[in-house]
Amino acid sequence: MKREITAMAALALSLSVATLLTGTIQPTGFSEIYPAVVCPPTLNGLSSQISISSRQTQFQNLENRSTKTIPFNVLRYPVSKDSLIVSATGVTPVVWQSRTGSWAGGTICSGPAASQWFVGASSDVRTRGRLMIINSGLSDAIVDVQAFSENGKQPLKSLELKSKSISVLSLDSLATGDQKLAVHVVPRSGRINSFMIDELGAGLQTLGGDFVNPIASESKLLIIPAIPNQLPRKGIKTAGAHTLRILSVSETDAYFTLEVLSADGRFVPVGFNTRKISSGIVSEFALSPKISASAFAVRITSDEPIVASVSSIVNIAGRRDFVWSSPTPALVPMAIALTGLSPLIAFAGDVIQVKMQITFVNGKNSLVSIVGTDIATYRVPPSARSVSILKISSKTHAGALVASANGYGYIPFTPGSLLTKVEIPRSNIRVLIP
Amino acid sequence: MAAEAALVRHIVSAIIVTHDGQTWLPETVAALASQTRPYDQILAVDTDSQDASVRLLKSARIPIINAQRDCGFGEAISLGVNSLKPSTRGNNEWIWLIHDDCAPAPSALENLLTAVDDRPHVAMVGPKILGWHDRTHLLEIGVSISGNGARWTDLEPVEYDQGQHDGIREVLSVSTAGALIRRDIFEELGGFDKNLALFRDDVDFGWRVRVAGHSVIAASSAVVFHAQASASERRTVDVKGAIFQRPLLLDRRNAAYVLLANSSWWMIPWLVLQLLGSAIARAAGYILGKLPGYASDELLAVASLIMRPGLIIKARKDRKAKRLVSSRIVSTFIPPLWSQFRLSTQRFTEVIRSKLLPSADTSTISILDSVEEEDLLVPSKNSHWFRLLGKPEVAGFIFLSVITLIASRNRLGALIGGALATSPDGARDLWRSYFDSWHLVGMGSAQASPPWIAILAILSSILFGKAQLLITLLFLSAPLLMMWSILTLCRKLSRNPWISVPASLLYAISPVAIAAINSGRLATVVALIIAPQIPQLLNNWKKIELLSWRRIYASVFVIGVLYAFTLLTCLIGLGLVAFATFNDYHEFYFNKNRKLFIERMSKRLTLLIIPFILTAPYSFEALLSPTRFLAEPGLSVAGGGVEDVLLGNPGGVGALPLWLVSPILLVLIVGLFSSSRAKEISLFGVGFLSAGIIFSSFSISTHGDSANVRVWVGTFLVGTTLCAVAACVVILDRLRSVLMSTNLHFRHFFAALLLLFTALYSITSIAWLVSLGAGSPVQSSRSTVMPAYLSVERDTKTLVLREVGPNDAKTIQYYISRGKDIALGEPDVAPKQNLELGTATQALIDGSGIFSSKTFAAFGIKYVFVKSPFNRTIIRTIDGIGGFTRTSATSTGVVWKVVGVTGRLVFIGKDGVSQLLETGQVGARTTVVQPGRVLLTESFDRSWQILENGSRLERVKSEQGLPLFIATESGEISLLHDGTIRRAWLSFEITVWITLLVLALPGRRRKREFADRELS
Repeated sequence: MKREITAMAALALSLSVATLLTGTIQPTGFSEIYPAVVCPPTLNGLSSQISISSRQTQFQNLENRSTKTIPFNVLRYPVSKDSLIVSATGVTPVVWQSRTGSWAGGTICSGPAASQWFVGASSDVRTRGRLMIINSGLSDAIVDVQAFSENGKQPLKSLELKSKSISVLSLDSLATGDQKLAVHVVPRSGRINSFMIDELGAGLQTLGGDFVNPIASESKLLIIPAIPNQLPRKGIKTAGAHTLRILSVSETDAYFTLEVLSADGRFVPVGFNTRKISSGIVSEFALSPKISASAFAVRITSDEPIVASVSSIVNIAGRRDFVWSSPTPALVPMAIALTGLSPLIAFAGDVIQVKMQITFVNGKNSLVSIVGTDIATYRVPPSARSVSILKISSKTHAGALVASANGYGYIPFTPGSLLTKVEIPRSNIRVLIP
Repeated sequence: MAAEAALVRHIVSAIIVTHDGQTWLPETVAALASQTRPYDQILAVDTDSQDASVRLLKSARIPIINAQRDCGFGEAISLGVNSLKPSTRGNNEWIWLIHDDCAPAPSALENLLTAVDDRPHVAMVGPKILGWHDRTHLLEIGVSISGNGARWTDLEPVEYDQGQHDGIREVLSVSTAGALIRRDIFEELGGFDKNLALFRDDVDFGWRVRVAGHSVIAASSAVVFHAQASASERRTVDVKGAIFQRPLLLDRRNAAYVLLANSSWWMIPWLVLQLLGSAIARAAGYILGKLPGYASDELLAVASLIMRPGLIIKARKDRKAKRLVSSRIVSTFIPPLWSQFRLSTQRFTEVIRSKLLPSADTSTISILDSVEEEDLLVPSKNSHWFRLLGKPEVAGFIFLSVITLIASRNRLGALIGGALATSPDGARDLWRSYFDSWHLVGMGSAQASPPWIAILAILSSILFGKAQLLITLLFLSAPLLMMWSILTLCRKLSRNPWISVPASLLYAISPVAIAAINSGRLATVVALIIAPQIPQLLNNWKKIELLSWRRIYASVFVIGVLYAFTLLTCLIGLGLVAFATFNDYHEFYFNKNRKLFIERMSKRLTLLIIPFILTAPYSFEALLSPTRFLAEPGLSVAGGGVEDVLLGNPGGVGALPLWLVSPILLVLIVGLFSSSRAKEISLFGVGFLSAGIIFSSFSISTHGDSANVRVWVGTFLVGTTLCAVAACVVILDRLRSVLMSTNLHFRHFFAALLLLFTALYSITSIAWLVSLGAGSPVQSSRSTVMPAYLSVERDTKTLVLREVGPNDAKTIQYYISRGKDIALGEPDVAPKQNLELGTATQALIDGSGIFSSKTFAAFGIKYVFVKSPFNRTIIRTIDGIGGFTRTSATSTGVVWKVVGVTGRLVFIGKDGVSQLLETGQVGARTTVVQPGRVLLTESFDRSWQILENGSRLERVKSEQGLPLFIATESGEISLLHDGTIRRAWLSFEITVWITLLVLALPGRRRKREFADRELS
């Protein structure tokens, strides 16, 4: 009997030892990195500043072939010409560009994108707009540019960009003579970012301008969280006029419904319920909601994937300007550098609960909580250098409106570069068998 | 009356040659005395016999001529003939040659004379020679010689004489034992050749008689019984030229002499080739039969003759002088080559057949017991085949075959998947992989190939080089082979086929068998087939001293095959030997029998260590990288967890799900508490299981996988399953009688539980096997990973990136391809992950790798290939990272070319400009036009050498740790990987395996060791 008991004990012992010894299998490792973001170049006649959250933030000029980066040493950096590549490490820099006495507009510096929709600008005789395509990679790139207009889909343009180079396309070359433009930029290879500036002029007279901020992808639900709404005043008849530009990118026509979210309530303006748009044709609809708030949001639902944006006529110091407000994805925890801008942040959503931290130029922080429904706004103090979104209720979207001496601008609240969590690859000969 | 007159017409002089022949001489003398036609005179030539031969001859009143002890047979006959009175009867005077070990039948001489009486052209006539002891055994009736020197009698081995060859036939020659030769022709031809002191002198003489225009016949009516004492080593051979008194050597030498001296000159090269070839083949056979003396005889015989060509030249000159007709006249008597081949094959198959199928009585009913009337009344039954199906063995194998075929429906082709890499096209690739000192895997490797590759190569060669077919057949037939193997064991444990067959079937569908086949575990499959043979070979493990050394060596051979597939068996062996030695020491402590202890120790250590040496250098290298002891052949695939192993299931991909619980653990527990032999078996089983459980908790990184994966303990579970099945057979064998003879108690419940559990497992596992099991990883596939255009450039390194794993847990993995998919054996020698390459690849993926392309170029990687489907964001990242030019994007994947000059062999001039050099598969021969450095983008190894203008270039390590050679002048360079050490190891390995094979095979006996009865 002794041997049987010993054998059973040995079995039990080995079971216990094995359970204790069972080491955790080496988990898959991840490499976390914020890809460097690219800021747009400063075109002739324009001036540009980049808001950064830290003086130590590293950057290099796009055309610099070396891998060396240098710190900004300032919190607002004027860019003379070249596009910059910024190691923003999670804090999205914001670019504010303006043509003195004419217009101003803002956009975020962003990482390479797989697809960008620009819904805005025109190709008619008044346009002075530009599409800037930047290859920040060290390899050559191929980019497809597909324009749409009120006359439908335009011929595809394929561009080859040398490494670390910029290609600037005049918008009138994309759909010559057409007024309603939407452009889809699809990189086939390479590290590509695009920016679009819409600038109008009639002869020597400038009619304003703005960045047309990109939309990452078409969707059946679009939220444009911040649309400036200047109330009509004496002598400013055009103020408060908005235009919805919309395009169904699917093969079939789409029916969309637009809801206005404002401090005055949530409603569907007349004529925007289940409205039909033709596939592939850019449509515009005048949007003039009777609301008293200075900013509102719109929520567009559709039965087919669509892209859209809203242009608003604004007046700055008696001059006419316009703003392109584009949809933003749902807000995620992020940080954005806003040094010197003091924007009005508008949050849109069914239930809004946002907790954010304001970091001031002097390094101090303050926590702010925003609570509301449909839309809530917050004016960032002028001495703030960055805003960090810490907690957000689900399906909340945000955008910022900035007014300056030169003009009015819109900045989408979306991270320029997301924390890229890339799995550390493992060497395994198995990859060589089917 | 005429016949009688004829007999009188002839004069016959009998000459007996004696040499230590007292054993046979009395009967010989008596036989001579009782001839129906007495000889006319007789004399004996004694070659200095040391026994009573002379006394016997004298007592028989036979005149004796004394000769030297080293006097040959021919010389002795010549002495006798010379002492006869001069010939007076011309062609009617005969000499009758009698050996001292041959006894003619009473009518022998009479019948010989009758045969020649009306055949005046006959110069030599011989009798039918039968065995001395078995007088029905036909030894010779005429004799010839084959092209390879064999003595050709055209008879079956041990042919029974039924008169089938009776009559008078023309032959090349007849044996000198009882031969009647015309005296005048004997003298005319100069008698027997003096160079043929013994053996083959008869064939030579017959040949010479033939070419002198005479005839030689064999007359079966004359019978002689011959002991063949010299050829069967019943007495020493003391003649001149018999080196070391070795009859075989003398026989072979003389055979070669006869052929070379008598054949046409243009036949000589062909004959020399035949003689050499057959000598080598026979020598190999003798080596295998552990008769090195005979082997050396074969080789020395030919060598001794070739070294003395003058002897042959003189002999040919002598023959030419007395030749009347062409030598080609004898060609009708020389057996053709196919006859020799047929006979050799027949003998070989007969030996094999007799070993495998020893003859047994076919009828178990005595003829005395049969009732003839009943046989007539009972209608004959013709449904034998249907009755065959009723046999449990047949039914079991058919059932398993059907299950296997259904479960293997996706495996009818070249197999791949799980741990199984792509099978190469032919055995040649396997051989190359085994012999090569450098393997083109990843960054290259000089690790020793595992010996199982050689085993597969040998087996593939048998299948005409079809390696893929071999693997497919192995996996298809594995369940049947497993069942057959364990059945041989079970039959020894139980005579009841209704127990042994189902138990064997259970073994073939055990969790470890299913998992091993489904996940492509070559070693475990082989272990499952071979393991049941080991307890049969080592059937007395405790008292191992009772096993013969030959049995031990045979076991070592089998264990060596297991070691060749996985060194895990070495750990098992170590455990078993340690445990047994502990017990031996315990016994020695009490009985103080040192001799017994040492004998046991030596046999156990032989079983443990020799297989380790057999698998060198692979096994020796394992001492430096011990993870090899835990690795299975092929790709690294994780085994299951502790809970799987506890239930006898090795787990991992392709294994039975955990809920499908086998009765293995239950059987072992029941067996432990059994009072039968099952207890002992179960103890071993529990030991295997415990070891398996412990090892299943380990994780190792090996075989080209940088990640740690759980150790596959299938080999331990083979032991567990084997013990469980064996214990089950033992338990069930006596269970029925025990249960019937006892009252209801726990045994009944245990038995019911066990049977229920087993039945449940059998049904569910078979159902799983034929349904879900068919979709397991090992399947036939013809697809490849690498696009064809990447294989066009010779030996181009490509970094392959893939997302591997299920959709919810995909991981990015990479490896360097040499333009083709990975083949069998290559994962086993794959080098470890290069850290610098790993970092560059990581940087490539996360987008931070601006130097990745430079690193890749430094390692000779020319392309990066991302196999679809793959994360599109990462593809864009690579696009943007710089240093890579996209060259193609297809549904297969995306390919980038690494910017810069890179390849396998790069010359860097003094000006720093790189230039790609031409290279072959491993080595290269090219030219450098100026002094500089030559970078070889292979892993560093001391065997890499570059020779330039006859001198060896200085070899240093590059920044990346690759071999870099300093060329001080321009000129032609030769790159080579020195495989001397590998070749030395291979020679060692082959020598050890052959030696072991010789030791393990049953030894052949020397002729002197045969009993008289066996010699006829």
